[in-house]
Amino acid sequence: MNHRCALLAMMVSFVTALTMTDTAFGETVYVAAKTAQMRSGKTSLDPVVASLKLGETLEVVKRDNRWLQVQTTKGVTGWIYSSNVSASKPAGGDNELAALGRSFRRTDASSVTASAGARGLDKASEGYANRSGITQQQRDAVDRMTAYKISDEEIQAFLKSGRLGEYAE
Amino acid sequence: MQNKSCRGLIVFGLVLLSTGSLTGCLEIQQVAENAARGSGNERLAKTIHGGGNLIGGLLPIGYEEEQTIGQAIALQVIARYGGVYDQPNLTRYVNLVGRSVALTCDRADIEYRFAVLNHDSINAFAAPAGYIFVTRGLLKTIRNEAELATVLGHEIGHVTQKHILDIIQRSKQIAGVAEAGLAFANKNPDAFKNVIDGAVKKLLDEGLDQSKELESDRLGVIFASRVGYDPTAYVTFLDRLRTIKGDDQAFFKTHPNFSNRLSVVQSTIREQGLQATGILLADRFSRSSNGTL
Repeated sequence: MNHRCALLAMMVSFVTALTMTDTAFGETVYVAAKTAQMRSGKTSLDPVVASLKLGETLEVVKRDNRWLQVQTTKGVTGWIYSSNVSASKPAGGDNELAALGRSFRRTDASSVTASAGARGLDKASEGYANRSGITQQQRDAVDRMTAYKISDEEIQAFLKSGRLGEYAE
Repeated sequence: MQNKSCRGLIVFGLVLLSTGSLTGCLEIQQVAENAARGSGNERLAKTIHGGGNLIGGLLPIGYEEEQTIGQAIALQVIARYGGVYDQPNLTRYVNLVGRSVALTCDRADIEYRFAVLNHDSINAFAAPAGYIFVTRGLLKTIRNEAELATVLGHEIGHVTQKHILDIIQRSKQIAGVAEAGLAFANKNPDAFKNVIDGAVKKLLDEGLDQSKELESDRLGVIFASRVGYDPTAYVTFLDRLRTIKGDDQAFFKTHPNFSNRLSVVQSTIREQGLQATGILLADRFSRSSNGTL
C-alpha cells in the first residue's frame, strides 16, 4: 500500500515537473517603454521590423545578453532591447479603483479640457489661478508646458547620439 | 419598524456598492437611490447618494483629476520660484533628457513635461501628472548629463509613486472631504484651493516624508540606469551637494540627510546590479547649457 502511494506521488511529481518545464519555455514579457522598436537583428543598426506599444504582449524565443528575440501576438518575430520589456504588465492609465473613485465623485467630463497634450488650463485650474493671484504670464508658462511636444523620433535620435538605450555600444 | 427597514436598505445598498463591478455599482447605487426616493424617503436617498461620494473619497484619484491637480500645483510652483527660465534650447535639452528617462520608467503611459525655474536655489519639484521642475541653481551644480538624468529620474519617481496624490488623498480623508473630483472643484473652488494650497505647502515648505524621498532616490538611479546612464553619477552629485549644503538647516527640513541618501543609493546600485556604464555625457551637457546658466 505504501509502495503504491509512493509510486503515485512520484507520478504526480513527474507530471508537475513536466508542466513547469513547459511554462518556463513559454516566457511572456510586456513592452515597458512608451514606444519600442523590434529589429531584425540584435543591434540598433538592424532594420526595424515593427513598432511596439506600451503593454504589448511578447513571447520570448531566446535571450542574448541585453537583447531578446521575441514574437508578437500577430506572429512577427524580431529582437528587442531588454530595458524595453518587463516581466509584469505595466499599469496603464487609470486603474479600475481610480476609475471607480472618479465615477463615484461624479466628475463632470465637460469641465475637462486638459487631456494629455491638449492646450489650455482646465476650468478648475483656471479657477484656482483666479483665486490665488496667478499672473497671465505664469498661466501661459503652465499652458506651454502642458502643450510641449517632442516626437518619439526626436527622442530616439537623442538616445542614438548619446549611445544610450539600445544604441549603446 | 421603518427605521429598521431603512437601515436594512442602506446596508444592502452599501454592501452592493462595495462588492459590485464599476458599472454595476453605479447602476445599483442609482436603483437604490431611486427606490428610496420613490418610497418618499428623500433622506435615505441622500444617504445612499452620499455613500457613493464617501466611497469615491476613499478611492484613488484618477488621471483626469490628477492633471487638474498637477496644473494647479504647477501654477503655484512657477509663481513662487521666479517663473520659468525662458531659454528654449535649454528647455528642450532638459525635456529630451527627462523624456528619455521617462520612456522606460514604471509609469511610461503618461506625458512628462520639464521646465527650468528662474531661481538660484538648488532644488527640483514634481507635481502630479508629470509636471517636473528644476531650478537654474540646481543646473549650475550639475556637471554632466548622467547627473541630470538621475535627478530627473528622482522627480519622475515622485510621479510614478503618486507621492503628492497620496498626501491629498490622506488629507481629504482627515478633513472629511469625500469629494475631490473636477465637478467638486468647479462647484467648490474655495475648498479645492484649500486642497491645493495644502499640497503646495507640503511640497515647497515642509517637504515630503523622508521615506518618499528615499524611495525616489532609489527609483531615480534605476530609471536612469535603464536608459544606460551611469547610476554612480547620482552618488557623485549627492556628495557634491553635501559639500555645498553643509549644515543648511532649511534644506534638511525638506530632505533626508546625505549619509542616509548616499547609503540607500549605493545599496540600490549594488542590490539591483546596476551597471556603472561610464556614460556621463559631460560634453553634451556642457554644450547644451553653455552660456545659458
